[in-house]
Amino acid sequence: MQLEKFTYDNKIVRDFGIATIAWGVIGMTVGLIIAIQLFMPSMNLGNQYTTFGRIRPLHTNAVIFAFVGNAIFMGVYYSLQRLLKSRMFSDALSKIHFWGWQLIILSAVITLPLGFTTSHEYAELEWPIDIAITLIWVVFGINMFGTIFKRRERHLYVAIWFYIATFVTIAVLHIVNSFELPISFMKSYYVYAGVQDALVQWWYGHNAVAFFLTTPYLGMMYYFLPKMANRPVYSYKLSILHFWSLIFIYIWAGPHHLLYSSLPGWAQSLGVVFSIMLIAPSWGGMINGLLTLRGAWDKVREDVNLKFMVVALTCYGMATFEGPLLSIKQINGVAHFTDWIVAHVHVGALGWNGFLTFGVLYWLIPRIYKTELYSKKMAGFHFWIGTLGILFYAVPMYWAGFTQGLMWKEFTAEGLLKYPNFLAVTLQIIPMHVFRAVGGAFYLTGAIVMAYNLAKTMLKGKLVANENAEAMALETVVVDTNPMDKTWHRVLERKPIKFMVLSLIIILIGGMVEMMPTFTIQSNVPTIKSVKPYTALELQGRDLYIREGCVNCHSQMVRPFRSETERYGEYSKAGEFVYDHPFLWGSKRTGPDLHRLGGKYSDAWHFNHLVDPTSMSPGSIMPPYPWLVDHKLDISTTPAKIRAMQTLGVPYPDGFDRLANDELKQQSEKISAELKQNNIKVNSDREIIAMIAYLQRLGTDIKTNKESIPSNQ
Amino acid sequence: MFEQLKNLAGREYYLISSLIIFLVFFILVSIYLIKLNRNHIQTMSKLPLTDNNTEHEED
Repeated sequence: MQLEKFTYDNKIVRDFGIATIAWGVIGMTVGLIIAIQLFMPSMNLGNQYTTFGRIRPLHTNAVIFAFVGNAIFMGVYYSLQRLLKSRMFSDALSKIHFWGWQLIILSAVITLPLGFTTSHEYAELEWPIDIAITLIWVVFGINMFGTIFKRRERHLYVAIWFYIATFVTIAVLHIVNSFELPISFMKSYYVYAGVQDALVQWWYGHNAVAFFLTTPYLGMMYYFLPKMANRPVYSYKLSILHFWSLIFIYIWAGPHHLLYSSLPGWAQSLGVVFSIMLIAPSWGGMINGLLTLRGAWDKVREDVNLKFMVVALTCYGMATFEGPLLSIKQINGVAHFTDWIVAHVHVGALGWNGFLTFGVLYWLIPRIYKTELYSKKMAGFHFWIGTLGILFYAVPMYWAGFTQGLMWKEFTAEGLLKYPNFLAVTLQIIPMHVFRAVGGAFYLTGAIVMAYNLAKTMLKGKLVANENAEAMALETVVVDTNPMDKTWHRVLERKPIKFMVLSLIIILIGGMVEMMPTFTIQSNVPTIKSVKPYTALELQGRDLYIREGCVNCHSQMVRPFRSETERYGEYSKAGEFVYDHPFLWGSKRTGPDLHRLGGKYSDAWHFNHLVDPTSMSPGSIMPPYPWLVDHKLDISTTPAKIRAMQTLGVPYPDGFDRLANDELKQQSEKISAELKQNNIKVNSDREIIAMIAYLQRLGTDIKTNKESIPSNQ
Repeated sequence: MFEQLKNLAGREYYLISSLIIFLVFFILVSIYLIKLNRNHIQTMSKLPLTDNNTEHEED
């Protein structure tokens, strides 16, 4: 065996570190702006590009894929090299990965405010960017596996299993959830419709949480926490058990986002059962992390890195305890669509992802700059203001969530809804939203202080771009003398490709059991005769609804509760969504559900409400949409949209693409004439006409044809 | 709560077969863990601590 000298690439680690800090501050700032918009609508700034519906996805994408994404790559590139005793496989691939990822984020920053969105939550980016993400993810994979192949350490430490599972699962999730039929450069339709689209989206959405926000962070925890505490992980056996259980179980849990929806009951139950089981492997990870600090708690008092890690693990524990509880149908019935979910998500995001990232940054930056942290006091201040920020954020949001859930469901002694006006509930929770913004501002202040502290640290030291290291070369042939040495997992963990394939099989099982019957067995989505495709104008209106991000605040899913059927009308049926590419059920009710909106108000009401929501609903926090009146509807896209829908199986008659715009104009004229009768003069070629047409169509197919509903629905 | 989970309109087999698949998998991982070599575990758990081969990593 020969001792080899080599270097670790710290420059790429530093680059991803700077990116995570910069995007973190940007993403959190956008979060603060949208938080303020919810109690001060003027913060929408009166233009389409900064309105809530368009920049809420910008916030989520920025914090998930830019802040957390860059932090993952920083952590992986630092720990992978050291755990494998090897420089990254290719410096060129590292650079392509870094710049490619930043360009993808930049394209999101540009396209989301412009209204280019698929509407799938956390997958809003349009098809050309989806392709770019796929390519860059492959670059990351090649670089990671290339490094694994040329390693000088035979065994793959548990952190690397988490990285491999992350790579393979995110690849599968992203590809399956990006099956879109492009109709132009920045517009596409999902190939799935309605219930199936919802199942795919929440299989993706939930597992984006699992495999982007959880598994890579667990991998980082397993590397950085032992380093910080200078002691090995509490139980390596537990890490193996919770790794395999976690990746197996997580993938089944997606349907808990669709409880009481039109998803078949058996799929909902699968989601519930596996979500409840999920508490065991999640807590396995948390306990393993916290117990790693056994005998080192005195260090936690002194060491700010460990303080961040402890709060991160505690928040992980709380979020993963709450998640299974929220999956229980009775609790979900109250919590779903409310701020409770926002609180739950932010305990995970601010506490687990944010604090773990901060802990790692404070530990790692001084090391690669060969210096001490510029100010420990500032880091301490960051810790406390960040912790206060989490509390000020989460507690009011829980309060708001309970308030919403209970007020929506409250009946009077006479059996009528106590708060029939949705707005009453919205106004009740405004103070909680103010407190939430204060919490967010605290948290952001901490992040800005950290950015200053770390920038000063970098200026004080000098980057060790290529860090010297040495290790024995790995023998090419291994003869194990110990027969116990040949257990399957040890063989597996030495063979990364087999390991990846096994992880792939494990994560495919859950998705296949849930999806294949929903896609192939017709009885899971019974058709309803009276449900017809959208008219050309309604289809265009629907695309405007998607562009403006209405789905971020309005659901289109009336659940089978009396409190909902009383408020909104007949509960939603699976068969009503068969032509919905994509589905627009939503996940949050900042405003009321819209599935039975059609015919409820006049066209004039909708016109006035869209131009100035407070004119129809005094006190409304919905932003105004005056540009829908200014903009001319682009009807040049109609034929391509109709043809795309035909390709996807929507039964428009042959040749309808050529006639569609004539029909569209007729319907527009009719709405324009109707508005004129109410003294509203607007040209029939304006976007607002299409939007009104769509809103008036919502849920009307079975409203007037109740006898057409199948008996089992 | 359990009634809602059990009442699956004749589709119980999805839930039961899924749980059986997990149980089998969990038992396999458990068997492996029981048979695991103690020395190997120690080596593996110390892996992150054995890369202190540069001077500024030693604090």
